[in-house]
Amino acid sequence: MSAVVAPAGALAFLRQKSPGARRFFFGIVGLAVFFAVWELGTLLLQLNPATRTFATFGPVPTLEAFPLLWGEGKIQAAVAASGYRMGAGLIIAIAIGVPIGIVMGRIKRFREMSNSPFQFLRMISPLAWMPLAVIVYPEWDQAIIFLIAIAAVWPIMFATAAGLAKVDPAWFKVARNLGAKTVHMLTQVILPAITFDVLTGIRLALGVAWIVLVPAELLGVTSGLGYAIKDARETLSYDHLTAMVLVIGLIGWLLDTVCVVLINRYSWHHRGNH
Amino acid sequence: MSTSATATINETPHLMKSTGQGLFNFVAGLAILFALWWIGIELISRSSTTAYFASFGPVPTFRALATLWHEGLIQSAVWASGYRLGAGLLIAIAIGVPIGILMGRIPIFRELSNSPFQLMRMISPLSWEPIAVIVFAGWNEAIIFLIAIAAVWPVMFATAAGLAKVDPNWFKVARNLGASRRHVLTQIIVPAITFDVLTGIRLALGVAWIVLVPAEFFGVTSGLGYTIEDAREGLNYDQLMAMVLVIGAIGYMLDSLFVQLIKRYSWQRQS
Repeated sequence: MSAVVAPAGALAFLRQKSPGARRFFFGIVGLAVFFAVWELGTLLLQLNPATRTFATFGPVPTLEAFPLLWGEGKIQAAVAASGYRMGAGLIIAIAIGVPIGIVMGRIKRFREMSNSPFQFLRMISPLAWMPLAVIVYPEWDQAIIFLIAIAAVWPIMFATAAGLAKVDPAWFKVARNLGAKTVHMLTQVILPAITFDVLTGIRLALGVAWIVLVPAELLGVTSGLGYAIKDARETLSYDHLTAMVLVIGLIGWLLDTVCVVLINRYSWHHRGNH
Repeated sequence: MSTSATATINETPHLMKSTGQGLFNFVAGLAILFALWWIGIELISRSSTTAYFASFGPVPTFRALATLWHEGLIQSAVWASGYRLGAGLLIAIAIGVPIGILMGRIPIFRELSNSPFQLMRMISPLSWEPIAVIVFAGWNEAIIFLIAIAAVWPVMFATAAGLAKVDPNWFKVARNLGASRRHVLTQIIVPAITFDVLTGIRLALGVAWIVLVPAEFFGVTSGLGYTIEDAREGLNYDQLMAMVLVIGAIGYMLDSLFVQLIKRYSWQRQS
């Protein structure tokens, strides 16, 4: 989204700086405001004796809990466990979504027939599959990976299909006239043309997978970010709770930014338009 | 975000070129899905070790669907979940659209808010759950909060992106013609961004739909998520599948509704 909401006009005194420096400056100030509002809210809650227990939700206890959790290795362990599930789920989603998306984009008949079943399956809330996944898969890890994959496959599939639909049909004609085989068509025409859209789809898929990951880890498993949150709540360590929430936000933001950078790198549509 | 949304919309006119063809594809596509489901379960339940999967098949599922409907379980679950979803989405729209307009109109606000909003957007909504349960007195309010906090970001960013696309000359012209602030809002901003807001609401609906089911797994004893959890605990796999079908069907209906609304308010495509 930040790519769409590009800073058009900014303050005059910052205009001479590079856009990157300005972004960084505003990013830091924005986060500072965020922490200030958070602290202010906590102080207001502290004034009232009825809500004084919420004080541990404040930014100071949260930031103090950070080195503690890191020192115990809890953050690293949770990130490693969740990262493995996310990665495996996303790779499965890409491996299934991109080929089906290409078929949808290339074969009109398949696209038309698959629309209703795929839209229907897409709108089954991923966590509704959970009871089923738990029965089918012997281990919780696999069930969680399945949930992430089934949530993430749709954005990738539809983005791939939409990307192919935008490709000028003349390209395929030209390629065929120049003697391109099916393999060449795939590697020289289709894949470079849709990389941008596939990455856009992966970014959406990442957002959805990130939403699914935490509730999927609230049950059954004893590792990962979702479990860490549940564990902090059950032991009433609210500072650990908010610290883990912050970790989730930061990692999600980092992953999202990586996707945005990749999308900008592979965007050829914009160059053509302007 | 808007790329894939508009792309899916662009495909719909192809399908609707002739309503007969569209209807045929719709029915045939679903028929193939149900046939594959039936064959799959039939093959799996043939082996004695996996015979218990037979109740996952389409025939027991549709039978359970009828039973659940007669008992009024589907209606009450849809009612409870619908209320939470509606309330959460309304709150998300009431907060997201005004902030999105501010982001689109005031550059300094957009640049300052970017980092905190991106950070908060990527906090997985369900990780707010422990906090929501402590803060809110009732589970209903906590679930509505979770849906609202999940749905507010797509609405907000879509509104801001929609405003950013509006030609700045429109505002100049309006001001020169003597438009007051209120007129600029009602005559220019709102009509210009309706399309984008609806696109955002459609995305928000998808996200809220994902959050709704796990949010109802805990605490409450009503709604679609609870009914699924209940069916699993009672080992009623046919009822479980029936509720999965209900969730998919309602989600599909809501999503199609927004696709129709988005097409109705799309002015970009006319140019």
